[in-house]
Amino acid sequence: MAELGVGRPTKRRAGSAVGGLPVADSRPVFAGDAVLGTRCSACRYPSSQRDLPWCPACYAPMVAERFATTGPVWSATVVDIHVGTRKPPFGLAYVDLDDGPRVLVHLAEPAVLGLGSRVRITGTDDGDLVATEVRS
Amino acid sequence: MTEAMLWGVGTSAYGRFPERRVEALAWEAVAEAVRDAGISPGEIDAIVVGSVFGPPGVATRVQRGLGIPGVPMWTVENACASGTSAYHEAVEAVRLGRFGCVLVLGVEQMSTLFSGAIVPEATDPEGASSLPLPGLYALQAQRYAGEFGVTPEQLAAVAVKNKRNGLDNPRAQLRASAPTVEEVLASRMIARPLTFLQCCPTSDGAGAAIVGGARGKRRDLRIETSAMVSGALWDHRSEDVWGYASVARAAERAFAQAGRTPAEIDVLEVHDAFTIGEIITLEALGLASRGKGAELAPSGHTARDGAQPVNPSGGLLSRGHPLGATGMAQLAEITWQLRGEAGARQVARHRVGLVETMGGGAAGMDGNACVVTILARQT
Ligand SMILES: [Zn+2]
Repeated sequence: MAELGVGRPTKRRAGSAVGGLPVADSRPVFAGDAVLGTRCSACRYPSSQRDLPWCPACYAPMVAERFATTGPVWSATVVDIHVGTRKPPFGLAYVDLDDGPRVLVHLAEPAVLGLGSRVRITGTDDGDLVATEVRS
Repeated sequence: MTEAMLWGVGTSAYGRFPERRVEALAWEAVAEAVRDAGISPGEIDAIVVGSVFGPPGVATRVQRGLGIPGVPMWTVENACASGTSAYHEAVEAVRLGRFGCVLVLGVEQMSTLFSGAIVPEATDPEGASSLPLPGLYALQAQRYAGEFGVTPEQLAAVAVKNKRNGLDNPRAQLRASAPTVEEVLASRMIARPLTFLQCCPTSDGAGAAIVGGARGKRRDLRIETSAMVSGALWDHRSEDVWGYASVARAAERAFAQAGRTPAEIDVLEVHDAFTIGEIITLEALGLASRGKGAELAPSGHTARDGAQPVNPSGGLLSRGHPLGATGMAQLAEITWQLRGEAGARQVARHRVGLVETMGGGAAGMDGNACVVTILARQT
């Protein structure tokens, strides 16, 4: 008998990426020239979530919106462990889209970008937003 | 309002116990807490359980062995703050006179659910994008470093302190060695800048407490306050690093209710799942001003023989992190410290203690919940 708890698949709603059942995808959607989301019709609060019941800042209705694909890095890191199907090293960053919400992106190059570095969302990888540093 | 007192605490050992039944871990903690409180199990008139991963019905499965049938009982889940959220409900219930004696339990068995790193919650945008918890804390650390200039050595000093403290904790999962700053930094990189020795291990274990009204026993601790807050939006408008604001909200409420200042706290157990977590938390609690929290460990201020010892048990970095049980383990340590029963871990000044537990991981929120409680020895 195998040792208890060793070598089992992780099973806590891990999603199809690690062999579990597929789950609804809540990630932001990239549409080539925009990141799709919603914006408050009253206070202009932006969100990458498309199914909010109302604006979480002021309770007014949310409407569909297209956000810029560029923005400054709020923080970035490089992960050096396997996570799901992601093989290390891979770069992650929070990016404040220029006219939109803060979104989590994968970096095209695994490097710890400095705060405020300019990036552009350039595509998706398996549904994740992928961003590339914009060098001026 | 009735005064709420802490009558007794108990815990299991912490580690990997896949061969044990989850309720057996709980019973070990409950039995010790009942003995410690000097009560008969029949005196318990409500049970509150904190657990994240269950199994479903874990509270009833625990209850089965206790011979306390039919009492009000409920389970709460607030991520890493589940145990102390359960405790908070017990404290409030006793205060309001709803119950005279409440059993609080935190229990988690993670070794049978995860092998290796925890896979993030796939229904959440961040989880679906493969952001692991150490990655979230790494983003926090990088932002903090960019704003305030924390050095790798300052981060590592937290791990060195807590792992050295853990050597004297016989219930800790990791107590083999106390690494140097160099060894912490040389350990395997997990998510830059956080190395392996700056991350707590996932664990199995349980913690329990008996909360009741004043009953004239000198050994009971006075619960000066328990404050619990849920998360708030953490988004493009947030100037604080992730998690800071939720701890600050709970702390502000707790200090106001207790009528105390951070400087009056003698000993603390705080949520150090990752080294940066302790630094951010101590700033949010007011032990240091913004950007100065990283100096606390290197300066010795938070050492066991320092002015304000933090995590004398070794913290999550030594004890391990059985999510639902973690808050109860912190509570047990502060209880032993305040009573002067902490043995080799005992701190010198131990009249007033604080426990802080922050649970998080839901994308776009500054935490799932945070609990801050302040306890004091009777004078
Ligand atoms: Zn609005």
